[in-house]
Amino acid sequence: MANTGKHIVEDVVCGFCGLGCDDLKVEVEGREIRPAGSVCPEAAKLLWRMDVADPLFSRLGSPCSAQEAFDEARVILNAARTPLFAGLGTDVAGGQALLDLAGGTGGVFDHAASIGLFRNFTATQRTGWLATTLAEVRNRCDVLLVVGSDPTPNFGRLFERLFPDSPLFAGEQRKVIFLGGTPGARASGQLARAEVSSLPATDLPEALVALTALVGGRTLAGNSFGGVPLADLAAVAAALSAARYAVVTWNGAELGNGDLVAERATALVDTLNITTRAGVFPLGGRDNIIGLNQLMLWRLGYPLRTAIRGGASEHDPALYATAQALKDADVLVWVSAFRPEPPPPFEGKTIVIGHAETVFDKAPDVFIPVGTPGIDHAGTVFRMDSIVSLPLGALRVATLPSVAEAVRRIAGGVA
Amino acid sequence: MRLRLKGGRVLDPANGENAVARDVEILDGRIVAATNETADQEYTLNGDIVMAGGIDLHSHIAGGKMNLARLLMQEDRRAYPEMRGAFCGCGGGRAVPTAHVTGCRYAELGYTTVFEPAMLGANARGAHLEMADIPNLDTGAYLVLGNDDYILRLIAAGAPQAQINAYVGWMIEATQAFAIKIVNPGGINAFKFNARKLDLDEANPYYEVTPRQVLLTLIRAVTELGVPHPIHLHGCNLGVPGNDDTTLATILATEGRRLHLTHLQFHSYGTEGDRKFSSGAARIAELVNASPNISVDVGQVMFGQTVTSSADYMSQYRNRGLASPKKSIGMDIELDAACGVVPFEYRDKSFVNALQWAIGLELFLLVEDPWRIFLTTDHPNGAPFTTYPHLIRLLMDRDFRNAQLATLNKAAQQHTMLAGITREYSLAEIAILTRAAPARILGLKDKGHLAPGGVGDVVVYKDDADREAMFSKARYVFKNGRLIVKEGEIVDLVAGTTHVLRPDYDRSVEADITRWFDEAVGLKAKHFRVADGELRGGAGPTILKCEGAA
Ligand code: SF4
Repeated sequence: MANTGKHIVEDVVCGFCGLGCDDLKVEVEGREIRPAGSVCPEAAKLLWRMDVADPLFSRLGSPCSAQEAFDEARVILNAARTPLFAGLGTDVAGGQALLDLAGGTGGVFDHAASIGLFRNFTATQRTGWLATTLAEVRNRCDVLLVVGSDPTPNFGRLFERLFPDSPLFAGEQRKVIFLGGTPGARASGQLARAEVSSLPATDLPEALVALTALVGGRTLAGNSFGGVPLADLAAVAAALSAARYAVVTWNGAELGNGDLVAERATALVDTLNITTRAGVFPLGGRDNIIGLNQLMLWRLGYPLRTAIRGGASEHDPALYATAQALKDADVLVWVSAFRPEPPPPFEGKTIVIGHAETVFDKAPDVFIPVGTPGIDHAGTVFRMDSIVSLPLGALRVATLPSVAEAVRRIAGGVA
Repeated sequence: MRLRLKGGRVLDPANGENAVARDVEILDGRIVAATNETADQEYTLNGDIVMAGGIDLHSHIAGGKMNLARLLMQEDRRAYPEMRGAFCGCGGGRAVPTAHVTGCRYAELGYTTVFEPAMLGANARGAHLEMADIPNLDTGAYLVLGNDDYILRLIAAGAPQAQINAYVGWMIEATQAFAIKIVNPGGINAFKFNARKLDLDEANPYYEVTPRQVLLTLIRAVTELGVPHPIHLHGCNLGVPGNDDTTLATILATEGRRLHLTHLQFHSYGTEGDRKFSSGAARIAELVNASPNISVDVGQVMFGQTVTSSADYMSQYRNRGLASPKKSIGMDIELDAACGVVPFEYRDKSFVNALQWAIGLELFLLVEDPWRIFLTTDHPNGAPFTTYPHLIRLLMDRDFRNAQLATLNKAAQQHTMLAGITREYSLAEIAILTRAAPARILGLKDKGHLAPGGVGDVVVYKDDADREAMFSKARYVFKNGRLIVKEGEIVDLVAGTTHVLRPDYDRSVEADITRWFDEAVGLKAKHFRVADGELRGGAGPTILKCEGAA
């Protein structure tokens, strides 16, 4: 980090949306960071840094020293009966420190983006699924079924990553079918070389069930399913069956009935695999949610939405979801290092270990500003597929602690 | 810090010691020659058996597929809650225990080193993060190669061996691996092109490369790079009746070159009898006995619920109909490999399962050289590793074995020669299988023995005619000279290290690899690479340099 003059850093890894792009270019000048070259809107917004003073550590909105903030957080946690650790936007090291801390304090763990994840888990835990990862879709997928609205607003470079100029095996004529959505301008641009079609739908699970039946060779009585004319569904089914490697993708977080979509998409892919190859490619993974989930699985044996209490843990996807857990919690520890996301409204004591630019409606009991992984300090994040993880680097000298450091400072005196 | 274990009987086959009455001394974590110096701590053993820490060379303890198994089989976690003890109390589970439970349960059994045998390059960073959270064990991982599109493309194009070697060397270094594993050579890849099976000489539908070519190419690569452990092979046609022929052909294909056949039990099935499922153990053991270049581990099946978890998606997809409970996960991964997770219950009243159990034991008892066969259940695929003490008793106690056999599926009893096998393993042989031999085949010179210079991983067992009881709870376990188990209970947690291998390779290969990652994988090679500092919470790996590279 000796270089303080204006310089370009290449191949920057991005930890924001979960797609794991690692070819970003940014201009760094002292403490200023500006995306250089083309970048997605999400990364552009979240990478940008001005040379401004760090926010102060604070108690109830009044500035205090870092040590005072850590001490106050510790006092609050020591007195807590049922703390809730939520947000959890942090790198793996931050998650490890939080789990270490919770070994003493107990607490419920959930991530701000877990709604989509748990909609998908209803399918994975009931039947399992046949899935695939980014590099496979990128090179093998010749027919992609996108269920629901265009995911590009949330995953800005998705189709750019999935549709490179020369895929290894997918051939020239790659098909993309939007079921229940239409590609926006950005997606259309990234899909310029693919054959794109879209079908409006009113009931996605119903349309997927019909597709599965058609792929399975059954004849259906009726004119339309889920708002899609039978003839159109038959054409999609034919395309999927003829594919060498079909992929079905959706963003569970954006679909009210995402659990049903996940289940029906899983069944469709299962049926396709009887004769050809196919996989689900569920979207999600914002703010290292997958890294936190992986960590909890190997440490506790349970995914997110798990409570640690008295040296034992218990998983309940309903009870320990943030919205529900907030009702039972007396202390909220809100962690958000990737973006300035304020904590949800809460009556009890609140400790925020958060992004420097967080704006609060109501000042938390303790605010511990932290650096962002990938900007202020190095760290590891997982990609949405849960297999690949990436090393985030530091772009400038850190002046704020990382989540891991902050949590260790808090833990320093946990009784 | 000097530690003295007094009055034990030392079983150290690596140095020819068979229950020799002598003291064992550990100075600052290493074994030293006995002295008269005052010890900081002394343990009086009264004739207890002293062995080096156990080494498991094949047990699935970390990596993405284990987390998928945990996610899929929450039943396993709920049924086996947290361990008691004043520690972090992290997690539970039996078939797929959490990192903490893995480290503690292994330590209780007297194991101090365990190798994860199927790390995918794409998942290497995650696997290393997970291994760092396993207490009390040193670990290491074998990198899965041979189904990656990079190598198949090279083989198909007839690339020079030197280029393959350089790629393998780069991959070992980049993923911080210790050896090379091949899973269903080329078959996982063929499945991505919709092939449902791939025999030893069957061509991949896209690359037209055969498993034999993949195997021989990689055997040559590890030989020329000087990798101590031979290719660790999970062969073709796992679980398919008639795969005994494939296994025999695979052994012959090596033409005398070193090869390790893993979970051989799953590859020893014949097609005789009305059920077209029979034991091929005798034929295979005979050829193994005659082939000093071959080593094997068994992958013993034990009855009960488990979760099978493998990179062999082709086979796991074939077996998913047998899932119990009825659910499974499969995943094609990153132009690299794949994985399949299928919960399974081995039932003693099932003909097939009972015969699998018998086939495993036949292999154990018919393969003569204990230095070339290793005690594994392919945890958790044949059974959780916690069944090892029971397995040891089956091997050491013929009456016990036959009594167990008598309770199994009747037809299966008719189809095994097990009842007629009189061999009983000796304690010294168990020490070879579980310590001395794995250290030797892995090239770990300071492990698996109790001579001066060895690491202070030492286990004390109370001699007990009931070998299951004896091996279930070690009396003392020392890790690097620190007491971690006392009377079968965990008393301390220590951080282990991760063994990695550093071969010399031609670094000019990097340009092509970089291009491949940029264009095909869509990820930078430099980000795929796992840095030393990412291992063991910044402590970095324990490096073994390849010697004798060609
Ligand atoms: S698409 Fe996602 S990973 Fe890629 S640059 Fe944008 S925010 Fe980052």
